Amino acid sequence: MDPVELQVLTGALHAICDEMGAVLIRSAHSANIKERRDASTALFTPDGEMVMQAEHIPVHLGAMPAAVASVLEESHAPGRSWILNDPYRGGTHLPDITVITPVFAGDELIAFAANRAHHADVGGPTPGSMPADSTTLADEGVVIEPRVLDDDAIAEISRQMRRPDQRRADLRAQLAAGRVGALRLTELYERVGAEALTEAYREVLDYAERRTRACIRDLGGPDGIERTAEDVLEAREGDLPIRLRARVCAETLTLDFTGTADQHEGNLNCPLAVTRSACYFAIRVLTDPDIPANAGAYRSVEVIAPEGSLLNARSPAAVVGGNVETSSRVADVVLKAFGHALGQGTMNNVTLGDEEIVYYETIGGGQGACSDADGPSGVHVAMSNTLNTPVEALELEFPMRMVEYSLRRGSGGDGRHRGGDGVIREIEALAPLHYSLITERRRHAPPGADGGSDGAPGRNLLDGDELPPKAIGELAPGQRLRIETPGGGGYGKPSSSEAR
Amino acid sequence: MLLGVDVGGTFTDAVLALDGRLITAKAPTTPADQSEGVLAAIQAALEKAGGDARDIREFSHGMTVATNALLEGHGARTAFVATEGFTDIIALGRQSRPELYRLCAARPAPLTPHEGRFGAPERMTPDGPLRELTDEAAAQLAAALAAYEPEAVAVALLHAYRHPEHELAVARALRRELPDAHVSLSHQVVGTFREFERASTTEVDAALSPLLAGYLGRLVARCEEAGVPEPAIMQSNGGLIDLESAAGHAAWTVLSGPAGGAAGAAYVARAADTRNALCFDMGGTSCDVCVVDDGAVQEQSAGTIADRPLALPMVAVHTVGAGGGSIAWRDPGGALRVGPRSAGADPGPACYGRGGTEPAVTDANLLLGYLAPDAPLAGGVELDLDAAERAIATLAGQLDMETRACAEGIIRVANAEMVRALRVVTVERGIDPRRYALLAFGGAGGLHAAAIASELGISEIVCPRASGVLAALGLVVSPRRRDVQRSVFLGGDALTAEAIAEVADGLGEQARGELGEATEDSELRATYELRYRGQAFELAVGADLHADPAQLREAFESLHEERYGYRDPEQELELVTLRVSATLPGVEVSLSEADEPREPERGEREATLDGERITLSTLRGLVPAGIEIEGPCVVELPESTLLVPPGWTGEVDATGTIHVRS
Repeated sequence: MDPVELQVLTGALHAICDEMGAVLIRSAHSANIKERRDASTALFTPDGEMVMQAEHIPVHLGAMPAAVASVLEESHAPGRSWILNDPYRGGTHLPDITVITPVFAGDELIAFAANRAHHADVGGPTPGSMPADSTTLADEGVVIEPRVLDDDAIAEISRQMRRPDQRRADLRAQLAAGRVGALRLTELYERVGAEALTEAYREVLDYAERRTRACIRDLGGPDGIERTAEDVLEAREGDLPIRLRARVCAETLTLDFTGTADQHEGNLNCPLAVTRSACYFAIRVLTDPDIPANAGAYRSVEVIAPEGSLLNARSPAAVVGGNVETSSRVADVVLKAFGHALGQGTMNNVTLGDEEIVYYETIGGGQGACSDADGPSGVHVAMSNTLNTPVEALELEFPMRMVEYSLRRGSGGDGRHRGGDGVIREIEALAPLHYSLITERRRHAPPGADGGSDGAPGRNLLDGDELPPKAIGELAPGQRLRIETPGGGGYGKPSSSEAR
Repeated sequence: MLLGVDVGGTFTDAVLALDGRLITAKAPTTPADQSEGVLAAIQAALEKAGGDARDIREFSHGMTVATNALLEGHGARTAFVATEGFTDIIALGRQSRPELYRLCAARPAPLTPHEGRFGAPERMTPDGPLRELTDEAAAQLAAALAAYEPEAVAVALLHAYRHPEHELAVARALRRELPDAHVSLSHQVVGTFREFERASTTEVDAALSPLLAGYLGRLVARCEEAGVPEPAIMQSNGGLIDLESAAGHAAWTVLSGPAGGAAGAAYVARAADTRNALCFDMGGTSCDVCVVDDGAVQEQSAGTIADRPLALPMVAVHTVGAGGGSIAWRDPGGALRVGPRSAGADPGPACYGRGGTEPAVTDANLLLGYLAPDAPLAGGVELDLDAAERAIATLAGQLDMETRACAEGIIRVANAEMVRALRVVTVERGIDPRRYALLAFGGAGGLHAAAIASELGISEIVCPRASGVLAALGLVVSPRRRDVQRSVFLGGDALTAEAIAEVADGLGEQARGELGEATEDSELRATYELRYRGQAFELAVGADLHADPAQLREAFESLHEERYGYRDPEQELELVTLRVSATLPGVEVSLSEADEPREPERGEREATLDGERITLSTLRGLVPAGIEIEGPCVVELPESTLLVPPGWTGEVDATGTIHVRS
């Protein structure tokens, strides 16, 4: 395929993913999807290889292929879509629901269109389905094993969740996005023909592979490199180590997590798909984000995580914290191995609610400094990039009042380039509310690099008293929850004149 | 005699409408003080018309003073006042990072540094004051602000869209302490909820208003000297406002330039009897896209300019970073890429002969024979065919392609980029491009129109004769307009016809008052931003000023169904924001030219299309009405070129506009 055709077809496939994303985001109901864009779309070959993805948040990067793999052997027919959220059968954590639409041209299966969206609630004992204290998957909500998605399924699934009306609307939006993707791909097929489309898949995958290999070669230099890095997760029972041995040899990158803690009783466990997503995020940072996010880009990457470990957990281990927190730290440890200063390393998950209402948010913090720039302040740093909920929207809709929302000055690490500052967000309950916090980097600071100082660790406070990194409880009216998010690490030794 | 003057990046264009004739003139834009170029363009037009400045009845003006300041991120020394505990909202934004994988890419910094942000000891809730702002506290705050010596102050307090009392109290205290400072209040500038977007817009308004007032002051002085009347100013919403109001509210005019272009495109579409058009303005560095529905430019409730949110209604102009100057290159994976880097106007594409050596889209158009090698571009740029060929041959060598195939590849990839952007634009706005004509203008629009139309399933292209001065023409014919909006959150039993009428009448009276003249003649239109309760997103529905809830529900649900494929009849409807526009219609101007167009110069040229060497017929000059066009052909208008591929045919209508169909 010539360089022009290659670029034109790459663009056409990307345009289809973009359009699916636009339909999904515009037609969903819940703020999670609409305002915070916690959703992704992708196209796959009939063999289940991901050829193109439009990811709005990186945590979905490597986790979509497992979803398609889980329905690959089913019997497919035009107009029949699939739904799932089981983390051990193609999902990540239960709130992320995936819809897969096989694409047909006549009788021939030509592709799969898939999309994934984070739903505001998927049932279970805790409103918002982000419990801080879950020990098995059943504690985290309704598990949907791969099944056909039709009106009956939508009704049945929604009934088991809070705000079934909203769930129905969001699921219909996902279905609509899949249909648009299928329609556009069929149009492309009719225009270019079967042979050209198959060749395009192959070329786009090979193209991404070529570019990734070239970047990995540059990363390792002529002799290759081997690095180790370590980090810890702050579980309720104590610290859990994540250990990495990274090897770059010729054009291949191996990320070996052997030596990482075993899966635990809490919910910081990751299915392997989530671990892969986190590694792929770090690789995109280390290589070139212009490379299409597809299976070809990761052919030269090997991720090793022993089964039964924290990073390749067995069913039915609880996983809700793994997706949002452990994933951030897996990305961190890969970046650390390659000399980066680290950012806040947590999404600071806060859920407040009762049986009627649920409010879930994640809070930005300090980014680690780069070798050529300060780390930005008050941003999402790794696997998430969702928008905040405006203070005014929050207060109009929920029995809560924001007491303070500001930058946490001085929390970024010092250095030739400074780490970004964290955020202060303090909320007062106006009615009895259940709270659930899943946070990290409260006991261990985000490290600086190359002589730069560490960022300040975060703090969770209830009426001024410090709470542990993972906490649940009740708020009485008038009680205040204050979250101070971590600052990013600095980069390089500060010169005396620059030190603050 | 009516006058419109538009300031562009390179040229300032003037249009005079006189007894049904249009006289156009150009002068170089003078970036240091745009008013100098404005007067030069006016003088040139008057000379051409043989007219006198005293005969100018109305003068409408579009400019880029506010836009440029925002792009460069500089404004007056500005202080920012927010509710205590929330002074960082302008820095926190929505907490997202601008790029997913370039971790240290930063959002644009607030226009007010940390030391210029002040907390007001007050707190409003959705239900009213929780902590009253005392007169004493307001006075203390004003004194602290005065010590900072700002030229402008932006005030954005929580829930002020509904409870403006504290913002007004701060303004009163500031008037005593800082009588000369410009003060922008969020409930007046914006009036809608979502504090970051409201505060950020208010900050832009405060920081840019002193600059804009300075520019408009200089312009008025020059106008007085020349005997030209004071201009009305184009706003981002596509309507004109009197000069004094514009000078006080820079946030209203940030999109002044593109709004004029959109108004001109809509006017041409109406005159050509093309009610629905996708307007495509392709210039040197970028192309601007807007949608004309039933003769009117699509608007949006809010937008983003230079990565900063502006929570004000504006014409929905989407900019794609691909233009004639976009540079083609080979990426490390061996694909041919075009842009986002641009050769700009200087050095420009290789064929400009100003030292550019990298191949740009214009070089490909020249080498393939679509652009005439012997006719200078607008502004007198002579084209160097050999330089274009050398630049493309180098790239072709890297890609192992034949030179002309590489040139065709550059065009295909550039077109694909634009098509991709157009698809997302149309999907996001819920429109099916196949129901639209493609209105192509700008120097390069007509060269790419047919290929883009084919990709999008569009079967008609419309190309105006006055392509180069469309924005100035748009200014002449635009209405006067003032928008006033407020977030009201009426839902359930509270959403009654009486409640709607009360809010709408209040806003209508305010809009008419602020429009400033002939208020009783102005037309009032209402826009209702509605959602199902629980949605975090609103849909805008236009309706009567006194709409009843059932009518709104039907309009909202049918739009929701069109956009999202379903209705939710059991869900409660919520009126989030009500916006009222007062407008005074613009004038009607004939599109015929001062000089009757002569028979165009006909010729032939060798060209390459789809890998074949073909002979293009060429038509050069102002093509008169009635002429028939048959592809393959190029029409070389004075400021733009239209490429008509084989299989496309068309004619010139009575207004001089070219229509071609596949």
